[in-house]
Amino acid sequence: MTSFTVNGRPVEIEGQDDKPLLWILREDLGVLGPKYGCGIAECGACRVLVNGVSVPSCMTFASDVAGASVVTVEGLEAPDGTLSAVQQAWIDEQVPQCGFCQPGFMIAATALLAQVPRPTDAEIDGAISNICRCGTYPRIRRAIHRAAGALSAQG
Amino acid sequence: MARLLSRRGFLVTGAALGGTALVAGIAGVGYLATVDVDGLDTFVDGDRAGLNAFVVVHDDGRVVVNVPRAEMGQGIHTGLAMLVAEELDIPFDDRISVVFPTEPLPAYSTWYNVLRVRPEEASGPVVWAGQRVLGLLGFIATGASSSTIALWHPMRVAGASARSMLIAAAAARLGVPVAELDTAGGFVRHAATGRSLSYGELAREAAVLPPPRDPVLKPEAEWRLIGRSQPRVDVPAKVRGAPVFGLDVVLPDMLHAAVRHAPVFGARVLRVDNGAAVRAEAGVVDVAIIDGRQVAVVAASWWRAEQAAARLEIAWTSTAADGADSDEMSARLQAALVSDAPYQNLDEGDVETLLGTGPAGVIEATYEVPFVTHACMEPMNATVIVRADGSAEAWVPSQGPIGVRTGVFRGCNWAGVEPTSVTSKITMNGGAFGRRSDLDVTAQAAFLASRHRGRPVKVIWSREEDIGRGLYRSHAAARMRAALGPTGLPVAYDARVAAQSVIESVAGRNLPFNPGPDGDALSVEGLDKPYYAIPSRRVRSQHVPGHMPIGLWRSNGFSFNTFFAESFIDECALAVEKDPLAYRRGLLQDRPRHLAVLDRVAAMAGWGTEMAPGRGRGIAIEECYLSVVAQVAEVTVAADGEITVDRVFCAIDAGTVVNPDAVVAQIEGGIAFGVTTTLMSAITIADGAVEQSNFHDFPMQRLANAPAVEVAIVESAFSPGGVGEPGVVPVAAAIANAIHSATGRRLRSLPLAVTETIGERRTRSVLPPRAA
Ligand code: FES
Ligand code: FES
Repeated sequence: MTSFTVNGRPVEIEGQDDKPLLWILREDLGVLGPKYGCGIAECGACRVLVNGVSVPSCMTFASDVAGASVVTVEGLEAPDGTLSAVQQAWIDEQVPQCGFCQPGFMIAATALLAQVPRPTDAEIDGAISNICRCGTYPRIRRAIHRAAGALSAQG
Repeated sequence: MARLLSRRGFLVTGAALGGTALVAGIAGVGYLATVDVDGLDTFVDGDRAGLNAFVVVHDDGRVVVNVPRAEMGQGIHTGLAMLVAEELDIPFDDRISVVFPTEPLPAYSTWYNVLRVRPEEASGPVVWAGQRVLGLLGFIATGASSSTIALWHPMRVAGASARSMLIAAAAARLGVPVAELDTAGGFVRHAATGRSLSYGELAREAAVLPPPRDPVLKPEAEWRLIGRSQPRVDVPAKVRGAPVFGLDVVLPDMLHAAVRHAPVFGARVLRVDNGAAVRAEAGVVDVAIIDGRQVAVVAASWWRAEQAAARLEIAWTSTAADGADSDEMSARLQAALVSDAPYQNLDEGDVETLLGTGPAGVIEATYEVPFVTHACMEPMNATVIVRADGSAEAWVPSQGPIGVRTGVFRGCNWAGVEPTSVTSKITMNGGAFGRRSDLDVTAQAAFLASRHRGRPVKVIWSREEDIGRGLYRSHAAARMRAALGPTGLPVAYDARVAAQSVIESVAGRNLPFNPGPDGDALSVEGLDKPYYAIPSRRVRSQHVPGHMPIGLWRSNGFSFNTFFAESFIDECALAVEKDPLAYRRGLLQDRPRHLAVLDRVAAMAGWGTEMAPGRGRGIAIEECYLSVVAQVAEVTVAADGEITVDRVFCAIDAGTVVNPDAVVAQIEGGIAFGVTTTLMSAITIADGAVEQSNFHDFPMQRLANAPAVEVAIVESAFSPGGVGEPGVVPVAAAIANAIHSATGRRLRSLPLAVTETIGERRTRSVLPPRAA
């Protein structure tokens, strides 16, 4: 039996030792924000925060997150529904096209800004290796700068 | 739901009258005449009033816009809803929502894609009959960058018609003449008395009134929304991570299926050696052979099904293609370039003679591109239920209900089931790029659902099945020749392409008839360069049969032909030591629209300014999807040959632009798609099978190698053109031309790589003796 929290909600998982966290989230817990894009830690569509660190959930297992806090895109907004600075920047810059990759990008951006509050373009490019087939990269860069500005204005 | 009124029967008395008279002798015209392609039927259902097929107004004033086109990231739901809101005279806010209608009304038909006539210009018997036949067939699809072109007029008419009915309802309620009423903010107002009524309270009364015969559209000067960027209606849900995609469909009692396709396309399942053992695994519900060609594992969890599928031991039949490999297939392309009997697509002037006598010499070059695939971020998936009563329902991230419906019938028929009805629910598409116009995965889900009646079955292809066992854009090669005249400009242009026909392949899989490969417009588009002032031109094509399944792919033939032709024009320019921009300008003297786009992009990029050693700039232009698009790429080529695309500038004349920011986004995305293809993408074949399987060996652009992109929309008086595909089209040639400018190396095959051999490999360019 493994216990952890998902978006603040305690969960217990039994007998799914070989099943990646991505599919535990999607199939067993009904948390559909993290997406399956490759299954081999290449694309980042499945990224979630584990204790604040962005990890590909397709290559993460329940044992890796025992006792941890797992946050998915659904957990980025405040309990009252207020969007996070990253999410708001994603709307303000109209980042998503199809949107399928964006949960992973917003998770990666959230983790980056927690570590590097005002990243340069080079730091963004170096830190986030997710794939967007629709090619929203210029807007992702702009949105991260915007979110960084909003977060530092909040102090 | 109660349908209150039918205009069927007198619709044909309007603009289509000429058509009616001309085709009246054809059997079935009377029936066809009843087909409502305007979609102006109304209905009242609970608190909703449908004022026509596109506009539904709720009692509380919310407006639902039916947009019969798939949202796959291009922002079409927003753009088309803006058109309705513009004419309905309501603010573009969160009281507007968009749905993909489930009912395949004739008004939703994508007839434009077949008939190629703008609705506002449609006339004549062929168009009249075509609209109705395609409407009856439920031909509703999204593609060919056509949605705004095709619905620009009908959506505005729908909005204007609804507004006029709401005004008429208010006039009746208030007992005042229509002329004394106006609208604002979702209300009909009577200025003289200060009274106003909301659209919500008028909607049901409006729905029983006859739609106006010729609703008057707003003049351009009064537009408040068209041409002003509006936020996308689908973005908030996507930013919250809402389950909007087909992959996210969850239904009670749902089963999950993973599939295995033959490594060599065309092979059939000989036997499954361990089917019983896999079937007996915990959680597995079924192991099924689909159509003799694929094997599916059905389980309570997709991940379990996929693990079990990986353990299947499947023996496949051998095929004639078992020994095929990329080198041999490439050799067949090259051989086809000199075959005896190419299809002649175009022959103007006297190309053959001029090629023998080009005053300034003859330029010749051969180019080639490999197979590539779509790699939509959302893996292929479909969910289908076939109920005990025979009714079927499908949830699919698809480019249109016609494919879903056909796929459900096909899959059910494999199982010996004839569905009594099919309801198509089109979810958000996590990318599509032509891939989701096919019905393969839907048919698989329908087959499995027919075996598990009453339970929804969701099929998901793993990324490995998507990249290695999916659909492909054809490889292609071209031999280009030009005879240069005294000014250095071509006097004759001869283009010949060899490719596996996309039409032949798509039709072979999915249509009841096959027009065959000859004259396949999608294989030659981008080759004829009709806007360049070249007096003699010839275009020929040779279909190269092959075992690979070819699918529609973002910009189809333009994706290779524009690379061929715009690289070649550069070669011609440089052969006579002309600046590539000036050379193109010389060929476009009678084309102000093209010149404006070309000059704009050149100005953006600072064309002609000095660049550091190892850096270069390249330009390319194309007219496609009723738009004109030009790009300049800036590259850096390192000493070790590594190519970096630093910036891409793009100017586009896409006619009247509805939602400018969405157009910019489409061009940005198209450029990313094009840069990825140009530098990274190759599907290769060994022993008949695709060698790539996932993003580690079919790599994608990422942030680290995404160039900066600048897009300019050129002001235009034309009607809207397409924008989904044009952004892709000039990229490859612009980059190849830039690399030549940076290094002096002419790269003629994709993906571009600066090595010792590539670039020289297929070069047969014979530079002319320099004319004095
Ligand atoms: S699905 Fe996990 S990285 Fe792609
Ligand atoms: S928005 Fe479609 S893959 Fe990124």
